Amino acid sequence: MSGSMVPRLVLKDLYLTRWMVAGSMAGGVVGIAMLPFGAVAAYVGGVSLLCTLVILNITVVMSAVVQERKDKVLLFVLSLPVSAAQQTQAKALATTIAFVVPWLLLTAAAAVVIEASGVPNGILPFLVTVLVYLLAYHWVLLAVALVTESNSWPATVITVGNISVNFLIPYLLGWPSVYRHMKGSAAIWTSDLLALIGVELLVGIVALGLAIVWRTRRPDVI
Amino acid sequence: MTEPVIELAGVEKAFPFFRLSDIHLRLEAGQIMGFVGPNGAGKSTTIRLLMGMLRQDRGEIRVLGRSMPRDQAAAKRDIGFVSEDMRLYGGTTLAWHMRFVASVRPDWDPVYADLLLRRFNLHAGQAIKALSHGERVKATLLLALAHRPRLLLLDEPTTGLDPVARHEVLAELMDAVQDERRAILFSSHNTQDVEQISDAITFLDRGRIIESKDKETFLDSWRRVHLELPVSGAAPDLPGAVDTTVSGRTAVITTRTYTPDVHGACERTGAVIRDVQRMTLEEIFVATVMSNRRRQDA
Repeated sequence: MSGSMVPRLVLKDLYLTRWMVAGSMAGGVVGIAMLPFGAVAAYVGGVSLLCTLVILNITVVMSAVVQERKDKVLLFVLSLPVSAAQQTQAKALATTIAFVVPWLLLTAAAAVVIEASGVPNGILPFLVTVLVYLLAYHWVLLAVALVTESNSWPATVITVGNISVNFLIPYLLGWPSVYRHMKGSAAIWTSDLLALIGVELLVGIVALGLAIVWRTRRPDVI
Repeated sequence: MTEPVIELAGVEKAFPFFRLSDIHLRLEAGQIMGFVGPNGAGKSTTIRLLMGMLRQDRGEIRVLGRSMPRDQAAAKRDIGFVSEDMRLYGGTTLAWHMRFVASVRPDWDPVYADLLLRRFNLHAGQAIKALSHGERVKATLLLALAHRPRLLLLDEPTTGLDPVARHEVLAELMDAVQDERRAILFSSHNTQDVEQISDAITFLDRGRIIESKDKETFLDSWRRVHLELPVSGAAPDLPGAVDTTVSGRTAVITTRTYTPDVHGACERTGAVIRDVQRMTLEEIFVATVMSNRRRQDA
């Protein structure tokens, strides 16, 4: 019985976030569809894709974690035969699925469209690096939302996260390994880009892991 | 002797500006205990400790034979919990909540759930965000009752309800406890509700239990004695007196241990008893809290 609680809580959260996920998928698909139609359309499409994922990240974490706690719906969830550890695991898993599945599908779709169209494949490593950054941003925001009681810390992470994307893109475009290959026909995965992707993933996974451990061991859930 | 449904022994929990101290409490199967205290007395903290949502700093908590908060998931299979500030998912319906709770509670009784829907005049298809406060409380109570829990923990469930909704809720609680295996811990600062349904009462103030007895003992032992004093006499020192008010030759003494012996004690000092009044639970509660605070502040 208790073992089956986590999947049930995960399904509950996925149901509650289904429209956010569907909306982001639709927005992402529109953005990706614009990629092959010239430089301006590719720029607009790429920005739309990134914005869609940023919005999905914020809405999923804020509604599933922060708002649930703020609205005292968490009291209802904790009235069920579930431990604090199970509730935390379920929340982290559901929120990650709600973001990672669209992220994965949209990233794969973008790669396929770039590969199949006239868009230079050289842009792919740059795009993936930015998309992985958004994945790390999601896990960091989720981690902060799980450990903090206040709304101001998640709001701070959102502000910093959103602004940082605007700095990351021009910063990456200044890397020789990016601008030299960007318009090339082949995707060149240089070691510095791969290292950055690794650091992004590591930061996100460590942040979420620490948050789950911390929250599971915290004496008071409410 | 069967194990109590709830047992707290020497429980303490400290927060920066509040401390729950040395809580000892037992609730037996078949009992409805009213947990009465002013705002901020520690009622919600105690109930959240019982639910495993908070971890005590000291002491032992056993609920339905299980140690809390360690075994909270197992214990909560047989607990129904409703809190005045508990909310449901606003974007869904009551029917969705019923299906969800039924999926995680194997003992969910759909026939009883439908009966509660009708008794509470609720509509399963209604959106949660469209429910009034009273309907929301009744909806949470339905979700807590329909798996027929052995223990109901209710944190101020009647706060803010209109008289009709309050009557419906209290009647359902009375009905639920017809099963003698069940028990209810019912917190409130509304002594009328507590007096109506409880058979045991615990008063809590400033994080401490200040009285815990069965209701009849409370009501039988408290009296307000109106006296006419002798010309040069002082008010008699009655056993269990918690408050004495003297005005001229008239005195009113509130005692917590009234027995017919009080009459003899008064007559020996020359005082004449003019009236002996029974007290309501609210009057007893206020007198208990005030005398406890005077003793603490002295």
